Amino acid sequence: MASVTLSDVKKSYGKAAVIHGIDVDIADGEFVVLVGPSGCGKSTLLHMLAGLETITDGTIAIGDDVVNDLEPKDRDIAMVFQNYALYPHMTVAANMGFSLEHRRVAKDTIAERVKWAAGILGLEPYLDRFPRQLSGGQRQRVAMGRAIVRDPKVFLFDEPLSNLDAKLRVVMRGEIKALHQRLKTTTVYVTHDQVEAMTMADKIVVLSGGRIEQVGAPLELYDRPANQFVAGFIGSPSMNFIPGQVGASGFEADGVTLPCPAGTPIGTKAIYGVRPEHFTLSPDGIKAEILIVEPMGSETQVTMKLGQTSVIGLFRERVAGMPGETIGITIDPAKTHLFDAVNGQRLG
Amino acid sequence: MTVAAPPSTRKARKRPFWTMERRDSLAGYLFIAPQMIGITIFVLIPLALVFWYSLHEWNVLAQTFRFQGLANYQTLLSDPGLPQVLGATTIFSIGLVIFNMSLALLLAVLLDQKLKGITLYRTLFFSPVVVSLVAWTIVWGFLLQNNGGINALLASVGIEGPNWLRHPTTAMISVIVVQVFKNVGLNMVLFLAALQGVPRELYEAARVDGTPAFRQFTRITLPMISPTVLLTSIITIVGSLQVFAQIAVLTQGGPGMSTTVLVYYLYQQAFQFHKFGYGATLSIVLFLIVAILTFVQWQMRRKLVFYED
Repeated sequence: MASVTLSDVKKSYGKAAVIHGIDVDIADGEFVVLVGPSGCGKSTLLHMLAGLETITDGTIAIGDDVVNDLEPKDRDIAMVFQNYALYPHMTVAANMGFSLEHRRVAKDTIAERVKWAAGILGLEPYLDRFPRQLSGGQRQRVAMGRAIVRDPKVFLFDEPLSNLDAKLRVVMRGEIKALHQRLKTTTVYVTHDQVEAMTMADKIVVLSGGRIEQVGAPLELYDRPANQFVAGFIGSPSMNFIPGQVGASGFEADGVTLPCPAGTPIGTKAIYGVRPEHFTLSPDGIKAEILIVEPMGSETQVTMKLGQTSVIGLFRERVAGMPGETIGITIDPAKTHLFDAVNGQRLG
Repeated sequence: MTVAAPPSTRKARKRPFWTMERRDSLAGYLFIAPQMIGITIFVLIPLALVFWYSLHEWNVLAQTFRFQGLANYQTLLSDPGLPQVLGATTIFSIGLVIFNMSLALLLAVLLDQKLKGITLYRTLFFSPVVVSLVAWTIVWGFLLQNNGGINALLASVGIEGPNWLRHPTTAMISVIVVQVFKNVGLNMVLFLAALQGVPRELYEAARVDGTPAFRQFTRITLPMISPTVLLTSIITIVGSLQVFAQIAVLTQGGPGMSTTVLVYYLYQQAFQFHKFGYGATLSIVLFLIVAILTFVQWQMRRKLVFYED
């Protein structure tokens, strides 16, 4: 195990800069998720950490060693790839033991390590099978087994669940989390799925356009997003945004006044943010016109017109209203957010 | 109270002859018909005729065509030249296959790199494949003459070159090299396509695992391109057994019978000595050798070739 430090890491392809100076400190044994939309540079950053991409500027340190110029094999890392990258002509056991073969590890020790890893991941019955004879989830477990047999200082996961169906993704998410809790190896995990990030991470790094938008614990990002991008990215369904300005009696949007936290000067032009789950049904509340009602069993998602803006509300109650009817809602001002109308940064 | 359903206005239809299944079958047969007709006319009928001719004594000049049963096959077994011909054919085939496939794979690996002007290099190495075989061989014939370009080049660095086409060993090497340089581009392109089909993530995983480059090649690349290796080995072996023009232009089977391979011997028997029946018998021998070798290679694929699906 080891800590990982990225200091002012940059990457350019010719004149095109794709990573613009990333600073991240990952503590020993921490599970850090790099999350962001496609093209934000998260996989590139992971490949740079692995040594599969060179870095243009800055330093990457694993433990006390700067590894900028070290080959991947000398960084003591193990990586799980998006498409598993299993050697299709080798059995599960051979795949898992392959990396140890080049490290002059005795055959008996390799067999022991493979058996140990297979035991952890429930792969013992499949050791003699080829990857093509396994399901997606089993292949993913083999890829993880290949990583853990080496007992590396750092695990790197590059969108490992993106090829699995939704149900299996949830199962594998739990298995990866359990594996980390058991081994306590420092882990850097890349995903574009904010639910994966929220449920697995000790710390989330939100990236956009090759820059860090915010670093923090999952609930910190959820409760106090640093800017409008993070607010919109974290949480599902996304936070609602309503443009307007701060008035004497609340936030004045087009056709409606909404409760907002105190402290922001009156007249400030801003973007009002409220999460769908932070609306509460109340007959005496602010009136909103129902546009769509989507019952989901445990909750009801309602698309409604608040003033002139279409917003989504998520209610634990069952909403019986029909499109065109109005419902009353209330909003807890403590759970609302204000962002600068120009640069999107959090106000207050 | 229940109300009876009104009678259906639809008429019970008789099952038509051209059901969807039959139409599909007909379409399938029509699709393969051109190929089957071509194979029948240009492969199966000629093969049957060659076998029929091999049972005859056929001299075009004397205009004799006489059935003589297996006499040509008995002649074949006692032909004193045949062991030497088969020996030359074996040496040529083994030399060509090893040299061609090794060079093709080496070139493919080199040309699989991200280099400036790589397309130009690929075109350059492939271009001999599209050059006329006879023209290519004639040019090489000039170069390999005792006072040709190659010996002139060697002389410029103080080396006295041999008379390449007039010495048994160098003659065989020469025809192999000329043939390899002519066709290596084809195998190279096939290997290159196979190399480019190997997922890059496998190499990235190998790099993270610390797999040395040569081991990556032997343990990952070769198994992954093994179907192409099998294909090219079959094509190259079959092609090597059918070599004719290079021998006819460069050595005419000489010196002695050192480069007289089976097809050239067949040509001599049929068209120089006018023994068409015996030539046909040699054709049958060639067909059997190619068929057996291809069958053996195909059987070996289970052991040597990895197929993902």
